[in-house]
Amino acid sequence: MKPFLTIIKSDYLQRTRSYSFLITLCASLAIAYTFVPEPNASYSTIRIADHVGYYNSAWFGYVTAIMTSIFLSLIGFYLVNSGIKKDIETKVGQIVAATPISNFKYLCAKVLSNFLVLLSIVLIVFVMSLVLFMLYNDGYPLELVQFIKPYTFITLPAMFFIAVIAVVFEVFLGKFSILQNIGFFFLYTTLMVSTPSNESYFSLDVFGSKIVMHQLEGQVRVLTKKDKSTDLSIGYVIGNTNDTKRFLFKGMDFPRSFIMSRFLLFAIGIGFITLISPFFHRFNVKERNAKKKLTPSIQTQLITPEIRLTKLPIPQINYSVWPIFKTEFKLLVRKGKRWVWFFNLIGMLLLALLPLKIAHQMVLPILWFLQVGRLSDLTTKEAANRVHYFVFSSYKPLSRLFVSKVFAAIMLMICLALPLIIRQGLLANVCAIITILLGSIFIVVFAVFLGMVSKGKKLFEVLFFMITYANMNSIPFADYFGGLEHQTSYFTGLLILVMVLGGLSVFLRTYELKK
Amino acid sequence: MIHLEIQNVSKRYARNKYGIKDFTMQIEKGILGLLGPNGAGKSTLLKMIATVHKPSSGIISLNKNNIVQDPNYMRKQLGFLPQDFGVYPNLNAFEFLRYMGAMKGVGGPPLHERINQLLEGLNLMEAAKKPIGSYSGGMKQRVGIAQALLNNPKIIIFDEPTVGLDPEERVRFRNLISDLANDCIVILSSHIVSDIDTIADKVAIMKNGSLISYGNQDQMVQNVTNRVFETSIEKEHLSSFKFQHTVVSTMRKDGKLLVRFIADQPMENAINQKPNLEDAYLYLTKKK
Repeated sequence: MKPFLTIIKSDYLQRTRSYSFLITLCASLAIAYTFVPEPNASYSTIRIADHVGYYNSAWFGYVTAIMTSIFLSLIGFYLVNSGIKKDIETKVGQIVAATPISNFKYLCAKVLSNFLVLLSIVLIVFVMSLVLFMLYNDGYPLELVQFIKPYTFITLPAMFFIAVIAVVFEVFLGKFSILQNIGFFFLYTTLMVSTPSNESYFSLDVFGSKIVMHQLEGQVRVLTKKDKSTDLSIGYVIGNTNDTKRFLFKGMDFPRSFIMSRFLLFAIGIGFITLISPFFHRFNVKERNAKKKLTPSIQTQLITPEIRLTKLPIPQINYSVWPIFKTEFKLLVRKGKRWVWFFNLIGMLLLALLPLKIAHQMVLPILWFLQVGRLSDLTTKEAANRVHYFVFSSYKPLSRLFVSKVFAAIMLMICLALPLIIRQGLLANVCAIITILLGSIFIVVFAVFLGMVSKGKKLFEVLFFMITYANMNSIPFADYFGGLEHQTSYFTGLLILVMVLGGLSVFLRTYELKK
Repeated sequence: MIHLEIQNVSKRYARNKYGIKDFTMQIEKGILGLLGPNGAGKSTLLKMIATVHKPSSGIISLNKNNIVQDPNYMRKQLGFLPQDFGVYPNLNAFEFLRYMGAMKGVGGPPLHERINQLLEGLNLMEAAKKPIGSYSGGMKQRVGIAQALLNNPKIIIFDEPTVGLDPEERVRFRNLISDLANDCIVILSSHIVSDIDTIADKVAIMKNGSLISYGNQDQMVQNVTNRVFETSIEKEHLSSFKFQHTVVSTMRKDGKLLVRFIADQPMENAINQKPNLEDAYLYLTKKK
C-alpha cells in the first residue's frame, strides 16, 4: 500500500509544482470570488425567477458547491486529462512499463492524483466561499456544516467522476486529443441538459446539482404560488438583478438514496478502471509508431563520400522573413492528425453554405476552436520540441521569428474563415469582415500571451474552450469575432485589448531573450 | 583572423551558487576541446558563448565586439549544436535545414546546394524527404550537426556532438570538422577524451565552473609524465588501492587485475607507462 501511495503523492507533486498550476489556483481564486455576487452586483449566478436566497451559510455553501461542481467539472477535465500523456512525453512511461506495477494500480494512481489536483482547486474555492460569507452575509451566523455538506455530497463525487473520465478518455483516445476534447464536451453537455423525470432519478445526476436546484425551485414556487416550473438561471447572467426578491434557504437533507449514489459513484469509478485496465497500452505507443515509421535502409550503411566543408558553396546573406513565415505556416498546417482537416474542410463548407448568421455565430467559433492544439503551443513549441537553443541563437529572433510565427497563425485563422469573409464581402459588409479579421488577430495574440505567461498550453486551452462555450450560448462579452450585434465601442475595446496583449507579448519575449 | 575572448565571466543562479565563476580564456582559430566532469559548467559556458544565456557578469567578445551587448554580431557567424536539442518532427530534414538557414539569415541557391551536400556527406540524403520524427537518435544528431554548419560559420560550438553516433559515424564526424581548423574557431565539448585527443589543437579542462587547465595536448600530458603506472593486484585489494591512487582503468588478467593508475611517486612492482590525455584529464580533475 505504501508504494502505491508514494506513486500518487509523487504524481500529484510533479503536477502541482509548476508555474501553470499556480496560475490555475490564482484563476480559481478569482473565479470563486464571483460565485456569489456582492449584494449590489449587476450579475447573478444562481437565480430562481426573481429570487435569490438570503446571504446565509446555506446559500453560500450550496451555491458555491454547485457552481464548483458545474464549472470545475467542465474545466477540470481539460486540466487533468494529460497525466498519462505527460508520462509518454517525459519518457517516464517507459520506465513505469518496466516496473512490476499493474495497469490497474497505475491507472488508479492516475485517477487519485487527478482527484487530488481537482481537490486542491476545490479547497481554494471552499476557503473563498467562507471569505465571501464573512464579507457579504446578511447577519446570519456561520454554520460550517452548511458548507461541508454540499461540498461533500455534490462537489467531491463530481470531481471524482471527472478524474475517472479523464483517465478513461486517455486510455482509449490517448493519441487523439481533439477527439478527447470533443467527446468530453458532448458527454458533459448531455449530462447537464438531461432532466431527471422524477425525484428518484436525481441519484443519476453525476454533478449532483439538480436535486438542490429542484429544492430551490420548489421553495420559490411556494412563495410565488406558481405550479409550473420557475425561470431558473445558472451561470453568469448580466443585468437581470432588478427587483430581486429574497427567500430563506436553510439547506437541505439529502435523501438516503442520493447519499448512497454518491458513494456508489466512487465504487463505480474504481470498477470502471478495473474493466479498462486490460486495454491500457502500457506505453507501447512509441514502439508501435517506430515499427511503422522506420525504414531500415536509411538507418544502415555509410557509403557516401567524405565531404570537405571548406569546399561547400557559401550561402548568400538573406534576412527575408518569408521562408520562416512559410515554414511556420507549414508547421501549423501539419500539426496534429490529418483527419482534423476533414472537419476543418466541413467547417469551411458550412461557412459557405449555412445561413450567414448561423455561419458567423456558431460555425466560425467552433471551426476556430478546432485549431486549439495549433494555437496553444505557438510560443511554447520551441521548448517542447527542444529547438529553443537554435531559435534563441538565431539572427534577430524577435523581429524575424516571433513575428513570422504570429502572422502565420493569423493567416491560418483567416484562411479558415475565408468562405465567410468572401460572403460578407459580396454583401459589402465591411464591418463584419473587419470584426472577423480582428477576431483572428485577437485569438492568436491571446494564445501567444497566455502561452508566455503560463509557459504552457493548458491555460489557453481552458480559456479558449470557455470562450467558445460562452459563444455557443450567445454571451455578448465573449464574442470576439463579431457574431452578435455590438456598438463600435465594443470593437474599439477589443482592438485596444489586442494591442495591449500584443505589446505585452513582445515585452515578455524580449525579456525572455535578454535573460 | 578570428579571436574570441572571455573575460571574468560568471553565471550566478542563486546567492553563492555559480554555474561559472570568474572564467577567463582567449580562443584563437583552431579546434578547442573542452573537457570536464558532469556539472563542470561546460554547457553553461557554451550557451553563453552562443548568446543563448547571458552572463551574470563579465565580457565575451568576438573580434573585439562585445557579444553580450550585441548578440546578433555573434549569431551571424555562429554554428551551434546544443547538447540537448530537438527537431520539429513533422518537417523533413531538407525543410528543417532550410528553416534553420532562414533563421540564421542565409538563403539562395547556394544554401540549397550546401544543404544537399551536407545531407550527402552526413549520409542523410536517402532520408532527406522523410519526416524527422521517423529518424533514429543518430540520424537526428546528424541533422543537428548539419544545421550547425549551414551558414558557413566562423565560430562553431559543438556540445557533446558524438552522443548517439556509432563508432564509424564518430570517425566521420572527426574527419569532417578537422577540415575547419584553419578557418574558424571550433569548440568541441565532450566527456569522451578520445573524441578530443585526435583532433583538438588545444584542450581546456573545467571543474566546478572554473578553468583548471588550458593548453595544447603536449602541455597537458606533461603534467602526468612519470606519474602513470601499471601494476597487477588482487581483486579484493581494488577498493583500498582506489583510495590511495587515481585509477585510470582496470583489466582482468590471469585471475588478477591489471591496473593503470596515477601516482606522484613510483611504486614497487609498478611499470611506468606512456601518459595520454585521458591520464592528464583524470589527474587534473582529481587533483584540483
